[in-house]
Amino acid sequence: MPCALLHRALAAALALALISSTSRAAAPAAPEEATAESPAAPAIVSGEVNFELDVLPVLTAAGCNSGACHGKARGQNGFALSLLGYDPGFDYSAIAEEAHGRRVFPAAPDNSLLLRKASLAMPHGGGERLKPGSQEYEVVRRWIASGMKRAGADAPSLDHITIEPSEHVMPAGSSEQLKVLAHYSDGSTRDVTRLADFQSNDSGVVSVEGGLVTAGQLPGEATLMIRYMNNIAAWNTAIPIEGSVEAQVYDALPRDNFIDPLVWDKLQTVGVVPSKPAPDHTFLRRAYLDVIGRLPTPDEARAFLASGAPSKREELIDALLDRPEYADYWANKWADLLRPNPYRVGIKPTMAFDAWIRQAFRKNQPYDEFARELITAQGSAWRNGAATWFRDRRTPDEITPVVSQLFLGIRLECAKCHHHPFEVWGQDDFFGLAAYFSRVGHKGQGISPPISGGEEVVLVKDSGSVKHPITGAVVEPKPLFGTARDIEAGEDPRRALADWIASDDNPYFAKVAVNRVWAELMGRGIVDPVDDLRATNPPSNAPLLEALADDFRQQGYDLKKLIRRIMTSHAYGLSSVPNERNVSDTRNYSRHYRSRLRAEVLLDAVCDVTGVPEDFNAMPEGTRSMEIWTHRVESLFLDAFGRPDANQDPPYERLPDSTIVQALHLMNASELHKKISHDEGRAAKLAASDKPPQEIIDELYLLIYSRFPDDEERQLVGEAFAATPDRRQATEDLMWALLNTPEFMFKD
Amino acid sequence: MAYHKNCEGMTRRDCLQLGVSFLAGGSFVNLLRLQGIAAEVSTPAKTPARCILIWMDGGPTHFETFDPKPDAPAEIRGEFTPIRTKIPGIHFSQHMTRLAGIADKLAIVRSVCHNQGNHGAGNHYMMTGTPTRIPVGCGAFVSFHPSMGSVAAYERGAPEGLPAYFSLPQMSRSGGPNFLGAKYAPFVVSDDPSRDNFRVRDVALPAGLTDDRFHKRRDLRQLVDRFERITDEQAADPVPAMDEYYRQGYNLMTSPAAQKAFDIHSEPDTVRDRYGRNGFGQRALLARRLVEAGVPFVTLYDGGWDHHSEIFTGLPKKLPPFENAIATLIEDLEERGMLDTTLVVALGEFGRTPKISQLAGRKTPGRDHWANAMSIMFAGAGTPGGQVVGATDRNGHSACERILAPENFVSTVYRKMGIDPGKIYQTPQGRPVHLVTNPEPIAELMG
Repeated sequence: MPCALLHRALAAALALALISSTSRAAAPAAPEEATAESPAAPAIVSGEVNFELDVLPVLTAAGCNSGACHGKARGQNGFALSLLGYDPGFDYSAIAEEAHGRRVFPAAPDNSLLLRKASLAMPHGGGERLKPGSQEYEVVRRWIASGMKRAGADAPSLDHITIEPSEHVMPAGSSEQLKVLAHYSDGSTRDVTRLADFQSNDSGVVSVEGGLVTAGQLPGEATLMIRYMNNIAAWNTAIPIEGSVEAQVYDALPRDNFIDPLVWDKLQTVGVVPSKPAPDHTFLRRAYLDVIGRLPTPDEARAFLASGAPSKREELIDALLDRPEYADYWANKWADLLRPNPYRVGIKPTMAFDAWIRQAFRKNQPYDEFARELITAQGSAWRNGAATWFRDRRTPDEITPVVSQLFLGIRLECAKCHHHPFEVWGQDDFFGLAAYFSRVGHKGQGISPPISGGEEVVLVKDSGSVKHPITGAVVEPKPLFGTARDIEAGEDPRRALADWIASDDNPYFAKVAVNRVWAELMGRGIVDPVDDLRATNPPSNAPLLEALADDFRQQGYDLKKLIRRIMTSHAYGLSSVPNERNVSDTRNYSRHYRSRLRAEVLLDAVCDVTGVPEDFNAMPEGTRSMEIWTHRVESLFLDAFGRPDANQDPPYERLPDSTIVQALHLMNASELHKKISHDEGRAAKLAASDKPPQEIIDELYLLIYSRFPDDEERQLVGEAFAATPDRRQATEDLMWALLNTPEFMFKD
Repeated sequence: MAYHKNCEGMTRRDCLQLGVSFLAGGSFVNLLRLQGIAAEVSTPAKTPARCILIWMDGGPTHFETFDPKPDAPAEIRGEFTPIRTKIPGIHFSQHMTRLAGIADKLAIVRSVCHNQGNHGAGNHYMMTGTPTRIPVGCGAFVSFHPSMGSVAAYERGAPEGLPAYFSLPQMSRSGGPNFLGAKYAPFVVSDDPSRDNFRVRDVALPAGLTDDRFHKRRDLRQLVDRFERITDEQAADPVPAMDEYYRQGYNLMTSPAAQKAFDIHSEPDTVRDRYGRNGFGQRALLARRLVEAGVPFVTLYDGGWDHHSEIFTGLPKKLPPFENAIATLIEDLEERGMLDTTLVVALGEFGRTPKISQLAGRKTPGRDHWANAMSIMFAGAGTPGGQVVGATDRNGHSACERILAPENFVSTVYRKMGIDPGKIYQTPQGRPVHLVTNPEPIAELMG
């Protein structure tokens, strides 16, 4: 992963991206725009000024320390500031002490280089940043005139920011001025609206300029990111659909478990009405695909469709959760997140890791235990598959961001090199977490790609430390937030970390887990992407995410129970077909969101339908694609429909997209043609049976669509069938046709 | 479904001729009209150019290609020496010999810069002319805006029987259509044309299946396909995209133009040798064949330019066949009288750091991501050759003369292709979107 090795220069570029998404690097937005006089923006400071609380925010708002200018790693023209002011001490000395103090001139403050450059009294590559006479200019001038004071040790520090008014929906076309309040450690507050930076994640829905929010004309939801110094706040809003819905509509909706009222509540706020429940055959197919990743057999489908039991959906879910295929299917998803490249770590460790993941799902290992075992894995990577993780990610800084992304949904990669400008995480956080891995050691043969054939043991050393890349100081283990228990003498520090991560009190741990599972079943994460939990990427339904996480904890982190909970909600069973009040909903679960079957599911289904298994290299006969242990096993089919690139480091996110290659492959691939026309295959056998054509047609519909043909289909397809004199050809052609339709390729 | 209705327009005979081999023309024009993909004519003024975009994924170093800095201190200068080009006063880096020899046909822009120093965002900015709307990470494959190739496909339309936008051998990260829809996604040919058995996979019927029977199957497929479509685009239903791909798939199978363009084996050995018997070389040749057949946009993707290490050990091996293929492509286009109407551009997502670095865990030095400066090569489509536009400072640190943005680059490509970069699109949600926010092309390149 190139990112893992990024130079600090990345800091510059990353921050730059945040300054102004449309203006050019060379000419960021002019200060006049950013600090336009507005009635909503009171004086930015009164009384004595100091560097930290008054001057730095002005310089930041003016863009001086942005990644485009003096904030980049090497500064600009010999004048370097910390990126967006994250290091006030560094900035103070750069301004007040370096360059023989010529940047500031208290006797005649207007002659200070700092002000002359920034006001364009002297040529300045960055243009005019502070207009003489503006409040911002005055703050800096007064600070210089009063002898460049720093905030004293007892001075209040910035604690957090809040936004007024609180989040709410906005009528289409309306606008509203937001106020940003900075809260200080002494309890005081200050209106910092005009120095804050605002950004909308969807300016088509809601635009924002200097805190003035304007709603567009179309329904939708958007989040504003507001930054003041290193504090970030998010402000969510929505523009509801025109027209109102009677409250009774929502009151009348079924509430099968706690999920439903939370979904309905959100729908009510945005004026969306859910779709009708899906018919039985759709539910059947959906449930099979979601729990075990395969289609029901014709007999299974017949039995379910014929049953009149009121609880048959729930019974089906329970029965499916007990099936052995559950483990392989869900392990397959986790393999995307964990599976290393066998050319790097070797074949045996890759296989052992694969076996370890599958075993965890086979025994329905509680998720917290799964996480603990993985995070604290040791021993031979040939025997304990989980240890392979540490064979692959060999150093603290390699394992840290993965642990954090998988189990906390926190992306720390950027914080390795610099303070994350739109997040709370910095290098101290990164290396504090990394320090928990400082004593992981390796013994035996290391990696030697492309074979890496030797055995290696992952162990806990007696000592080891992680150093801060800038200060060089040894960093003590420290959790990202909250408190973690002490590491006992002689104890593997990772155990303390695992206890902190998998603790009931850690709000991220359960949330990211339920969000992943929810996304698999419901077609989209409540937070999307699923493992990117942050204030600036808010959930589409926060109370729901909260409630699911609570429930997951209470149920002992039991993944099957979580799946069961979601699937037994009324919301899960909704139809995908929209009504006029939910057609635009793509994030609130008012209807089922369709998705294409993933590569392995589709290939296994093709094999089941045609009755001809795949023959994979290096796998025993009869292997299903769900059981493959490495993506290096060749398969044009799996490549066409998308699977992780074996050369890319996990975690891997699959693209659900369709492509023309997929269409051509299903139509014309010779491998597929051979399956359909195989002498021992399903079509040949059906054709050779004494079944009447109608039964053959029923059988194929049940196999491929998990439903019976309706009367019209029976008649039309029956005619087409009869028109082909060769029964075998007729059967093959119908099989080909059904396999090439979206009703087969998509989970509905 | 509309798409299926379109397909009904094909006659049985058309389909027969389809998948298999050499087809006599005749009814195809009609067929294409029915499918509504006949080329739209855009700006009439000059002949709008077609474009071959050479995408150097990872961010090619400007120092070791088009912008050597011999006067910089050793830790910046690097190990390569500059070489003279055909144009006095213009120097390229040591291993750019073939391109140096045709510098009179090239315009090098040394002063494009932007502010997106990670792969995900840099790819997006250069490929679409629009920065990502929200911060994205290095590994991100994101799309907030249609790519140049998709816009070209949308604006220029496809030639008879071929997709309008190809990407070889893979799609670039932000090379997708975004709100323009799946119809304008690139057709990816992942097969390697340098192999003897090269064929574009799955566009021909499998052995043993007759055209007649395939046609019957298609009819039957249409008959059984009753899955409800959610046609409102706001619903973001994934099914219409698949319908579109089936439509395009049928279309491609039936196309003699496609079969001909794909038949790289019909090129004389001398031509194939000139391009180089390697994947990139033969893909460059395939790109020429596609452009010759009327395809308006071809992306030639080449990976491996993320030189955090092995920059001085890797490039002497990587560059010669690579730049030879580009030089050959330009010469070949000129010899065929196609250079005036074909734009060839080569770039990546950003340049690389002035200071040579050695990152922890890397055995050899490299350069890291650097969006403050990058070089872009232009040739053809009326671009005045033998010139350098803009400059970086002595250390290659920043663009310092004629500072240009990705918007200017993308606008130049659009202008040359006869597309108005100032155009405003309506998304399916009804939102207006500027094709390029600063639709100012690079005047020096416009001729």
